[in-house]
Amino acid sequence: MKRRSDRSVGRVAILSAQISVLAAFLLGWQYLPQIHALSSRFHFLDPIFISSPSAVARSLYDQTTGAGGTATIWSYVVPTMEAALIGTVIGVVGGLCIGLLLANSGTLNRVFRPLLIAINAVPRIALIPVFLIVFGLSVKGTAAVCVAVVFFVAFFNAYEGGSSVPSEVLDTVELLGASRWQLVTRVRFPYAAAWTFAALPLAITFAILTVVTAEVLIGTRGLGRLLLISLQDGQSTLTFTVAIVLSVLGLVAVGITEFAKSRVLHWWGRT
Amino acid sequence: MTSEVSLEGVSFSYPNGVKALESVELTVPRAHTVSIVGPSGCGKSTLLAIVAGLTLPTSGTVTRCKVEPGRLPVTMVSQKETLLPWLKVKDQVGLHFRLRRQHKTERVRAWVQDLLDLVGLGDFQDAYPYQLSGGMRRRVAFLTAVAPIPQVLLLDEPFSSVDEPTRLVIHQDVFDITRQYEITTVLVTHDLAEAMSLSDEVIILSRGPGRVAAVHTMPFGPERDIVALREQPEFLELYGKLWRELGLQLDNGGRKRQRSFRDSTSHRPDWMTEG
Repeated sequence: MKRRSDRSVGRVAILSAQISVLAAFLLGWQYLPQIHALSSRFHFLDPIFISSPSAVARSLYDQTTGAGGTATIWSYVVPTMEAALIGTVIGVVGGLCIGLLLANSGTLNRVFRPLLIAINAVPRIALIPVFLIVFGLSVKGTAAVCVAVVFFVAFFNAYEGGSSVPSEVLDTVELLGASRWQLVTRVRFPYAAAWTFAALPLAITFAILTVVTAEVLIGTRGLGRLLLISLQDGQSTLTFTVAIVLSVLGLVAVGITEFAKSRVLHWWGRT
Repeated sequence: MTSEVSLEGVSFSYPNGVKALESVELTVPRAHTVSIVGPSGCGKSTLLAIVAGLTLPTSGTVTRCKVEPGRLPVTMVSQKETLLPWLKVKDQVGLHFRLRRQHKTERVRAWVQDLLDLVGLGDFQDAYPYQLSGGMRRRVAFLTAVAPIPQVLLLDEPFSSVDEPTRLVIHQDVFDITRQYEITTVLVTHDLAEAMSLSDEVIILSRGPGRVAAVHTMPFGPERDIVALREQPEFLELYGKLWRELGLQLDNGGRKRQRSFRDSTSHRPDWMTEG
């Protein structure tokens, strides 16, 4: 009982500390730039560059509700999330299939895995213009960039998962009458899928990041366009607003996948 | 007596040239249980893989009896964890039927339930492997292998990770089920008492490369109470005899090692004598 109580006091203390740090940060952000001696000496404390929490909160309210005649942020959120979702689904399914295929075939693995490792080493951000030219300056283009990043996250995890099946398990199931195809679908696939699913929160984070980067380059749609506008107009408040919206979207997406993971993979890591 | 599996002059060498088995002659009669014991590294598990058809011998022949209709030729229980962690106990035990898409029939469901009840796991049919104790998981692995009533069941030290009291209970289940369904069983184990309690014959393999050093018939009859059997003077006497024979195999290697150790320590290393 004593230990339980100790733990609960610990949690309260940690939460209090976290709230205190956050409050100190927000207060510092709000009031330090108002001290002229500081803002004139330190460039980054100039309110033009770092705005203020109260301004960001007001902007967030206006952008999400359309108050004050402002266009809402949702028309920018939809294309970003649409591209991120499409890119994640295609990237994860493609990576899972190819990872599984290579985990199951020694020959294919020897031929293609070094090539895939080499392609993964190429910085995808540098290739964004190529993707956009090939697939167009639309959701298709940004989703394609997203696929190029998410695919490799899924592929490497699926490959490791498919390769991690103990030989004793394969032997046992084969002797129970499994065909070669069933060994892939009934044994290797769940292992590969579990590893891939476990990497889904990371894949989604990468997906949103990549789509926004591509949108900044295109400058015609999505939250990336809003960031570009904020940069062109020097609206740091808008930049922080978009950053907070992206954080919340990322957290929600990761939260959903974490929840799904805990339900679907309840057996994962517990055997 | 019809033989279910027979090995004639079976040898096996690894690609690096190390010989694991040499000229093994072995016959397993139908519906009998044969145990193989021997020192570590004598090729027991390799022998089992050859019988299963998972490994081809370097030389010699393996003959298996024709498979009866509706039975599987061979199934195996490994010493390692082989349960599929995403399957419930009932799906695991009925895995063979799932692979053949027969698992939804009432007959299969009832059969799986009967097997689970037989070993006291009837209430755990909806549990996942991680919700079971080590002993329960071993029982599920065993039931998964016997559910299709294989013609030959191979057991590769399947209960080595289980504590002694639990192991005795599992032994009784294994003995009863393999006898009841006339499953020819080959058991590889380090546990001599386990080998004697469950088997009709105990085969001692020599130190690597493994050869058949001795074959002993167990005179304990077709019905056994495993716990009571281990207290019988006849069992204890035979246990002592087999232990001495097994000890000879261990000792041969031990003496070799000791001699080579003495040789290597007869001269002090340079750094001890310097200065």
